[in-house]
Amino acid sequence: MKSNKEKSLYPMWFVIPSLIIFGVFFLWPIITSLYYSLTVWNFETAKFCGLDNYKLFFSEHAMSSSVVHTLIYAFGTSILKVVIAFFIAIFLTSKIRTKDFIRSAVFFPNLVSMVAVGLSFAYMMHPTKGLLNSVIQFFGGNPVDFLGNPALALFSIIMVDVWKGLSISVVIYIAGIQSIDKTYYEAASIDGATSWQQIKSITLPLLAPSQNSIIILSLIGGLRSFELIWTMTGGGPGFATDVLASVIYKQYAAGFYGLSTAGNVVMLILISLIAFPLQHFLNKREEAIQ
Amino acid sequence: MNKKVLSVALCGVMAMGIPTVSAVAEEKPYEGVTLTMWAGNAEYNEGTKAVMEAATEALGMEFQVEINPGGSEGDNIIKTRVASNDLPDFLCYNSGSKLYDLNPSRAFLDISDWDMVEKFDDAFLSSVTIDGAVYGAPQSSTQAGAVIYYKPDYEELGLEVPHTWDEFVANCQALADAGKTPIYFTGGETWATQVLFLGDYYNVAAAEPDFAENYTNGTAKYASTPAALRSWTKYEDLVDFLNADKSAATVSDGNLAIAYGDATHWFILTQQLPMIIAEADNPDDIGVFGVPGDDADNHGLTVWEPMSFYVNKDSENIDAVHAFLDFYYSEEALDLYFETYGANGPSCIKGYELPESVCNAVRVDMQAYFDEGKNTPALEYVSPIKGTTCEQLTTAVGLGQMSGEEAAAAYDDDCKKSAVQLGYEWE
Repeated sequence: MKSNKEKSLYPMWFVIPSLIIFGVFFLWPIITSLYYSLTVWNFETAKFCGLDNYKLFFSEHAMSSSVVHTLIYAFGTSILKVVIAFFIAIFLTSKIRTKDFIRSAVFFPNLVSMVAVGLSFAYMMHPTKGLLNSVIQFFGGNPVDFLGNPALALFSIIMVDVWKGLSISVVIYIAGIQSIDKTYYEAASIDGATSWQQIKSITLPLLAPSQNSIIILSLIGGLRSFELIWTMTGGGPGFATDVLASVIYKQYAAGFYGLSTAGNVVMLILISLIAFPLQHFLNKREEAIQ
Repeated sequence: MNKKVLSVALCGVMAMGIPTVSAVAEEKPYEGVTLTMWAGNAEYNEGTKAVMEAATEALGMEFQVEINPGGSEGDNIIKTRVASNDLPDFLCYNSGSKLYDLNPSRAFLDISDWDMVEKFDDAFLSSVTIDGAVYGAPQSSTQAGAVIYYKPDYEELGLEVPHTWDEFVANCQALADAGKTPIYFTGGETWATQVLFLGDYYNVAAAEPDFAENYTNGTAKYASTPAALRSWTKYEDLVDFLNADKSAATVSDGNLAIAYGDATHWFILTQQLPMIIAEADNPDDIGVFGVPGDDADNHGLTVWEPMSFYVNKDSENIDAVHAFLDFYYSEEALDLYFETYGANGPSCIKGYELPESVCNAVRVDMQAYFDEGKNTPALEYVSPIKGTTCEQLTTAVGLGQMSGEEAAAAYDDDCKKSAVQLGYEWE
């Protein structure tokens, strides 16, 4: 009886502080933003307007197209990171001499601030003076307008994001690979498995937990991405690289606070709709393997 | 003994020194006051700095300036600061429609009873007056949204200043045939791409005198008013004449391109003139003409009122700001400003003549439009409504990624959003 009482006391008091912080700083803002997204508000008044903000958000091409761009951006960066980082990690855990140096070189882009990366790549991708085009022209190619061509601009930014964000995924993979018991590989090589078969049948399945973290992290990061796009194109040319976050920022800057709040709610719902089922699915997959 | 005499003498000198110092301090009534200001780089220029130094010399106040990053980032910052009551003592911001967005009656001091207001001309005053209250004082001269061009190219090919849009396009073709870059487009700094559209308003107003009123009421639309639609389709005519780095070029690139003659024309606000002329070999190489319309006899200029100084209503240093601005509009300070920095256009101070050192582009080319009465204030001084995605649309049309009709229709929707926000009932 006594031990039971102690058990129930202990977690309650431990949870309350974080529950209060969560409630005040996370739960309450979410609820109020739901209300304010249904109003036209400024810092003094709020006028209820029903679903008008949402209707406007989805009826105007400049804003609704941002949902598509966000999805392309998030899935594009996430898939590339998951795949490329896997091979880099395999390479960096194999028996090579300059392993330590290459590991730091791969991690280096992550130490630079997003804004600095965005600005430097915007200069490098300049249509006439940029480094990339100088190289292309040196080898006899035609200059490419990486950020000024609406068909290319979003993909140019995705490439930069992958360059910068790859390292975190590589580190997670390396940690995962190193925790795999070496005896599996020994047993497999005695049985005559090639290294590709070892990667496919031992490394890949046992890496599932690391891979799941990478997928979730990079996908959510991609869905709410802002700084890189803002510094490289500002959402332009026209609206070709506008994502949810940049549209929300622009509406806020224009003084359309209600519309901007509605955009935030749309973003919250979009992220939840993608992240929760995905997490569920990935957990299932992980359990199945184990 | 000698040391004692010396120390007594030194004490005497020091004692005499103290009253002299305090007498100087009394002549400078604002010694020790530091005024905070928020302004963009174009406003906090060499001329403004020179006048501020002179003011520190004469009145004693010091200045601390925060730089406005410009464009929509700047708008965002200042709107947030107005809303959160976190303003400097005074600041520089647009006059006209953008002033409405700042909710001026709440944030800024009504300066209509200050003497200096009598010096400002009516066109300027109407751009900073809301419900009878005057909020702003002009930071600089007027300016125009016009074509700044490199004259030696015109002389070399024997071209004339065009008075119609067709003549202008023909000139561009001739320049392109001669291997020159006819037009500079700065897609890397989107605000600047609006100038052709906004500067074409003289021609819209000439064809449809009621456009501003009907547009404000929501009855006239860009997509359905032929003269207004023309402002958008003009971009289409120029797509083939632009610089190679059109999507990334910035306004600073544009200053250099026109100053060195790397490109011939640039649709831009004439606030860039002082910066272009500072780089040019010969100030007379640079000229200005208004955006051409369809009537050769009615070629006019769309005029912008200058950025204005606004005074924080809750500032503790209102007297010092008042004294500084009184000083700013004295003949000597105005001369100092325009001689140091140059002018963007004719001055909006009544009875004041720009000094001889100001370039011919302003004193001859632009002044001619004013003398003939062929100028009209830009739409943003006549109507409070301006769509917020204007600069994205003009960039997209300018780069040939969108047709003029599409952009006009999108802009109409965008204006509706702004109108609703300002409390207009548009259908």
